[in-house]
Amino acid sequence: MALSLRSAFRKVWLTLSSVKTGVILIILVVIFSAAGTVILQRPITDPDDIQRAYSPAMLRFLDATGLTDVFHARWFVALMIMVSLSIIAASVERFPNAWRYFSRPYKSPDDNFRRVLPTQAHIPVANEEVALDAAERAFKHFGWKSEHIVRTSNFSLFSERHRISEMAVYIVHASLLLIFLGGIVDALYGWKGYLMLTPGSASNQVEMKTGAMHNLPFSIRCDAAGEETYKDGTPKKYWSKLAVVEDGKEMSSKEIVVNDPLVYNGVRFYQANYGRTGKLDKLLVSVTPGKGINGEKREISLSMNEIVALDADTKVQLAEFIPDYVVQDGHVYARSNDVVNPAAHLIVTSEKTNKVVNVWFPAIPGIAENDSSPYILEPKDLKTGVFTGLEVSHEPGQWAVWAGVVLMALGLTFVFYVVHTRLWVVPVTDEEGCTTLWIGGSANRNRDAFEVTFKRFVDQVQKELAEFAAPHKPAASVSRTTIAGR
Amino acid sequence: MARAKVEQHPATGMTLVVMVGLSIAFLLFIAFLNVVKSGNIVSEANLLYAALVFYAGAGALYLGFGVTGTESYIKFASVATWAGLVANTAAVAHRWYEAGHPPFASLYEMLLSFVWTLAALTLVAEKRYGVKVIGTVTMPVAIVGVVLMQLLRSDVRPLVPALQSTWLHVHVTLAMLAYAACALSFALAMMFLIQDKVKTEVFLAATSVFTVGIYAAVLSRFERWGGFNVTAWDAENKAEVFISRGVRLFVTIPDLGWLMLLVFAAVAAPLVFYILATVRKHEGFLSVANRAVFISILLQSLALVFFLLRARDGRYPSLDAEGLYPTSLAASPFILAGLVGGIFANLLYLLLLWRRDDLESHLPDADALDRITYKTICIAFPLLTLMIAAGAYWANRAWGSYWNWDPKETWAAITWLVYAGYLHMRITRGWRGRRAAYFAILGFGVVMFTFFGVTYLLPGLHAYA
Repeated sequence: MALSLRSAFRKVWLTLSSVKTGVILIILVVIFSAAGTVILQRPITDPDDIQRAYSPAMLRFLDATGLTDVFHARWFVALMIMVSLSIIAASVERFPNAWRYFSRPYKSPDDNFRRVLPTQAHIPVANEEVALDAAERAFKHFGWKSEHIVRTSNFSLFSERHRISEMAVYIVHASLLLIFLGGIVDALYGWKGYLMLTPGSASNQVEMKTGAMHNLPFSIRCDAAGEETYKDGTPKKYWSKLAVVEDGKEMSSKEIVVNDPLVYNGVRFYQANYGRTGKLDKLLVSVTPGKGINGEKREISLSMNEIVALDADTKVQLAEFIPDYVVQDGHVYARSNDVVNPAAHLIVTSEKTNKVVNVWFPAIPGIAENDSSPYILEPKDLKTGVFTGLEVSHEPGQWAVWAGVVLMALGLTFVFYVVHTRLWVVPVTDEEGCTTLWIGGSANRNRDAFEVTFKRFVDQVQKELAEFAAPHKPAASVSRTTIAGR
Repeated sequence: MARAKVEQHPATGMTLVVMVGLSIAFLLFIAFLNVVKSGNIVSEANLLYAALVFYAGAGALYLGFGVTGTESYIKFASVATWAGLVANTAAVAHRWYEAGHPPFASLYEMLLSFVWTLAALTLVAEKRYGVKVIGTVTMPVAIVGVVLMQLLRSDVRPLVPALQSTWLHVHVTLAMLAYAACALSFALAMMFLIQDKVKTEVFLAATSVFTVGIYAAVLSRFERWGGFNVTAWDAENKAEVFISRGVRLFVTIPDLGWLMLLVFAAVAAPLVFYILATVRKHEGFLSVANRAVFISILLQSLALVFFLLRARDGRYPSLDAEGLYPTSLAASPFILAGLVGGIFANLLYLLLLWRRDDLESHLPDADALDRITYKTICIAFPLLTLMIAAGAYWANRAWGSYWNWDPKETWAAITWLVYAGYLHMRITRGWRGRRAAYFAILGFGVVMFTFFGVTYLLPGLHAYA
């Protein structure tokens, strides 16, 4: 029983680690991701648009299968987990072999290896030691390190470069897993919300996408916010001056713009939105004394509900501001919160006579009593309040993602551009007592380029040999050299 | 046979060079007159025009080389490409100086950079790898690019806040390099298939499917009773007309739809005959199919001419609003690119049909092409990876999240996965040759969809390109 369980596990493991499974999983991810871009997705589409786009039955089906929110559906997450498992299994399955290759380099080739190696050359030589010396000088000529391999029966030379290249694939796979890990951590522990502030206000309540509130352990205060536009009116810059307040102390402050957020304790505040609140900030009013009152014409500034004394007896108060007014049945109503058709209501009171005058800007007929006011009031300018919309996010896993990206760039560089090359130089003496210098080479990728390098190395060895042998005899051996290419 | 003929009459070898030279001289003369009239030499439009002239000359010479195999054409074609590249570089520099940021902010600017990269890579492929006829494929693409640029909005527009980031430039530069490398791998894979003795009729089928696809997409604008919908164009603001946010106003050009339908039938005909030939195993249908290709090219040219004549300007009624609205070629760059691309693909097929032997003798051998295709993808893949990473980093700074599953992001990931699949199959399964070539072609198809298709078919945050 235990055995069959083990074999079943083994079978599952082998299936998971096969390239075929990997490719099938990749194809599935591709198909479902593509579906997720074609079918309207709930998180990024207006609900009404989805209602309009699909018939009710179709929409029920899409919702039930999770196709309207593919990237957050359980089965998509399961698929991504399968992909991760497949990468892990494939890497673990192949790693020991590669590790053996990496940790115990094959330095002394045997007869069989020498026979089958595709890239090799033979140079007939007179003396073993002289030949090895020449080869060593050739290595030095190219600046490659070589080591003497001593076996019971023979000496040989071995040189290799960039062995790390054998591990590169695992670096890439590990980096991909690291990125996934970051994504999973963010999916589990990360959150994203929205915070709206008006200049001067502070808050620690972030509204999540779901509508729930998230309380931050510190509050964020907006000191100022504004926008700049190009000459043609297109927006150039939105900015907000923010400060972090914790336990009554200001911990940090920064002027943020789009593309440059404020980060505090792993929580990021982005400039996402900017606009007018429809609430009044300041109303500038020119005051001209009416008949029978002494005084100069002047300007006063009023904010909401503020009372300003015009003289010892008369006071004015800004009582109402309606950003978009409409008059119905003798009453003033607000139509919207956009400042398109504003109206302001001021109350002028005289303490002595107890006279109350309702002044309206503009003078709405039937309601405004502008003419009976002791001072002639005229609106000069009106400043409405602004708000800044902050996208707030907490992504604890993003560091794993960035680390993964850097690791992947490194791994891919090794995979594609760093080649593990090996060269063996072995003097071989056959039964008749003739000695040949066997030179073999291998590269784990980009073999055509390596063959050129290999030929240059062999040529160099011959040159070194010829130089050494020159006083004794001409290098006749050169012509008998054979280079068996791939 | 054809080569022997050329060798017998070396004089004919020079005819094309002289003709192309004269045309370039003539066009430059006209340009010179324009310059004199406007009194402004180094305007971007002039530089682009010069680039267009040189690229067109180079394209003609590369095609001439493909057809006749005359070696001297290549030299002149290279010189013309160099000249075009110089003009193109000047245009890029001018734009950069004018706008104050690298030219990556709009589709127009990206096409400018893309064409530059393509021309540069063509010269690299030619000089470094000896793939001489590559210009036959890439130069016409460059020409289509420059023509498209003439139609797209080209005024320097200020950057909206989200685009004011160094990461944008990093992201887009990487994207352009990666896409150009993918385009090159596609061209090389096609050449491999030619060298690998893939039957000519398979290319016929591929070309027909491609063209049928184009006209199927074009016919999505077919309106009842033979009309053809194009976007209305506001000439004053140089912009498309919108009814509401994201909804374009379409005007209907009467009767043009019938012509498009007719051409659709004509481009489908070769495919039908090809299928008949394979199902019935009757070779006779193939020669009929080849003739049908010829007819379809004529009809496609007719469709292009009529489209140019009717959609260039003029006022047409709309189904969505009362009155007549103007349109312009600038409002339909993708239809235009599709029509030109279809003709171009079919012409390439004819080139293959008639001059296959010459082409084969001038291309590197299949093994070399296979290796170079792989190497190009080895360059493209890390670039794609970095492009996605830079995009994610930028998104994290601009929108507060490194991955939004936005259609553009998702399709970039799909592209990445397809090329990752290619590399795995090649390295672990030893896929070489044809299967690898088909995979490379599929990869480029996905790249094109990500670049153009997603922008125009799927909505999302990534609205800049």
